[in-house]
Amino acid sequence: MRVACQQDQLHRGLSAVSRAVPARSVLPITQHVLVEADEGRIKLSATDAETIAITYTIPATVAQSGAITMPSRLLSDFVATLPRDEIEMNLAERSRQVSLSCARNAASIGGMDPDEFPPIPPVEGSGAIAIEADRLRQALDHVVFAAATDDSRPVLTGVHFAIGAASIRLAAADGFRLAVYELELPAGAPQEREVIVPARALGELARLLPEAEQPVTMTVNAAQTQVLFDLGHATLVANLIQGTFPNYQQLIPASSATRTEVSVGEFRQETRLASVFARDGSGIVRLTATPGDAGSPGRLLVTARAEEVGNNEGEIDAIIAGEEAKIAFNSRYLIEVLNVITTDRVAIETSSPSAPGVLRPVGDDRYVHVVMPMFVQW
Amino acid sequence: MTIPSPIPRRIAHFDLDTFFVAVERLKDPTLVGQPVLVGGRGPRSVVATASYEARVFGCHSAQPMTQALRLCPQAIVVPPDFASYRTASEGFHAVLREASPLVESVGLDEAYADLTGIGVAADGPREAAEAARRRVRGELGLAVSVGIAGSRTVAKVASDRAKPDGVLDVPVGGDAVFLAPLPLRDLPFLGPRAEERLRAAGVRTLGQLAQLDERWLLATFGSHGLGLARRARGIDPEPVHSDARAAVSVSREVTFGEDVTDLDRLRQVLRAHAEEIGADLRASERRARTVTLKARWPDFTTFTRGATFGQPLQTTEQLSSAGASLLDQLFVQEGRHPVRLIGLGATNLVEDAVQLGFEDGRLLHDQQLDRAIDEIRDRFGNDALWRGLAPRRRWR
Repeated sequence: MRVACQQDQLHRGLSAVSRAVPARSVLPITQHVLVEADEGRIKLSATDAETIAITYTIPATVAQSGAITMPSRLLSDFVATLPRDEIEMNLAERSRQVSLSCARNAASIGGMDPDEFPPIPPVEGSGAIAIEADRLRQALDHVVFAAATDDSRPVLTGVHFAIGAASIRLAAADGFRLAVYELELPAGAPQEREVIVPARALGELARLLPEAEQPVTMTVNAAQTQVLFDLGHATLVANLIQGTFPNYQQLIPASSATRTEVSVGEFRQETRLASVFARDGSGIVRLTATPGDAGSPGRLLVTARAEEVGNNEGEIDAIIAGEEAKIAFNSRYLIEVLNVITTDRVAIETSSPSAPGVLRPVGDDRYVHVVMPMFVQW
Repeated sequence: MTIPSPIPRRIAHFDLDTFFVAVERLKDPTLVGQPVLVGGRGPRSVVATASYEARVFGCHSAQPMTQALRLCPQAIVVPPDFASYRTASEGFHAVLREASPLVESVGLDEAYADLTGIGVAADGPREAAEAARRRVRGELGLAVSVGIAGSRTVAKVASDRAKPDGVLDVPVGGDAVFLAPLPLRDLPFLGPRAEERLRAAGVRTLGQLAQLDERWLLATFGSHGLGLARRARGIDPEPVHSDARAAVSVSREVTFGEDVTDLDRLRQVLRAHAEEIGADLRASERRARTVTLKARWPDFTTFTRGATFGQPLQTTEQLSSAGASLLDQLFVQEGRHPVRLIGLGATNLVEDAVQLGFEDGRLLHDQQLDRAIDEIRDRFGNDALWRGLAPRRRWR
């Protein structure tokens, strides 16, 4: 293998695929990146051999095609630090030593047999779905953070895709909150089905999407065990999570006693302020919604207190329908959902201090977020 | 140049007089002047408080009700009403907290207050105590006796001797002189056994106890003996702990009369501990992140095991099942043993708040159940109801 490419492109490619490299693994080769040079391009691949594989292709001048694996961390760190110039890679086939040179730097890195690298399965199936990259990214931003991070219920570490004829309904829940986003498919989907994609893989996909210059195609294999997201220059393959996703529709309250509409920016700001004080006390933020009377607007009081430290109280204008309401939430849960809402205003629907609260962006009915309150003494 | 003399330490012990009876008399003035016994009427009930009129006949608290009624058949028996006592107690403590920044509650009807340096004149502490007494009398209609001295021990002895409805201000530096003529049993924490040993050695008064040879005390009572003698001299550096610094743990333990091998019995006892700890946590609006188990074998080997939870616990059910699994764990690790002592503790206490989950219907149900039970017990006493302990269902 003899190949030349640009430092910035190789750096970007290595950063992208290295996200699939596991922190620890019983399989040492999974700590490596597979580098394949062929037909005017270098294809970089990495996988944890368990749930996720990422490939990334960059243009290159290929004098002699070939393949090798190199330690991901070492290669990434080295390339990241090189000047922005052309990098040449030469593989000594027998010793599996790669010599890299860039400007006046030269290095030699020991590789491993590319045939030992865990094969990334080809994902082929009927019914690929084309999704505009920006819209997919927006959908992922709205739900991925709500997925569970602990493995006690594996299905909850994934995002549920309910693929319908004209939309995909994405849902994630972790036992305390639920996020549901309706992603419209102007081009439609050829086949209705349900899959659970690991949230971690989708988080990586979301990082790759801003670079995508064409619609992303999503393909599920016939056995419904794997999904491929093809961005053109990059691909991401994930093993689907097997199991039944809970029936989350029943978690969305059908009615509410109080609807409080506020500015997203103001509410986020007050919640952040309160969270500074709430840090010691399990992040508790208390909300009190007081309806206005003739002429004066209602108000939402956002308070937090830290035992033996102090307290914080902030007030924002609100349009309140229904009765006065009191409810407490974990500040992190509020901030995370307020960070992804893109509309100016949000409605908070509540029924009692121990019943779930519902947040909906005003004027955008694609998104629903349900969050369980904290039980507190008022 | 003169060195200012240090401000003398002044500790006050406030003790409401026949508290339960006094509250009952506020509710029903016809009880005034009558012999009143607060307590249940059941065959195993005991007297919670006896009015002074009943005490004349030999009635006293902790006495079996049947015995009290034999001594004073004309006594009026009133069932306890803890909700009223709690309200009155809160008012009492609120007055004290305005009198001093450092108040430590030691029960519904008792509290220590550090009055050191209060007021400008030398008798500032006494004036502050008198003012508090007047407020408790005026605002709550209750009589409170106060002892003021240089330490908690002496203040408590003094308040006892100030009863009924009096103030005893032990002069600064006069603590030892004040205690010297008093009988042994007046000293707090001097138990009947120690009293017996001391009497056998010819000791009758606190003054005599104060003079005893330290080596003899050490040999007879261990280090506890030295503490007794020191306190008999009026020396007790224990500060008044502000209630603002809330309890750091709640625990219950029991030593069995006979060692217990039956696992169901041990779990039952843990459950009873959990009931009490849970009620304490709920009353003080706290939750525990950590649950600890303490167990002692007959040979006095003692083990503690703990478990810490992401979501803080409070319900009887949670505490009791945490305790039961710690016990299982201990027996797996150390082998099954007969148990001499078993205790359960809740530590790492945090604010009474918990993140609810979508599937926490059970938790909310348990919380409501616990609160309902607490309320019934507050009103009718601890024995008013107990959880059914169907052996099959309890320990799934």
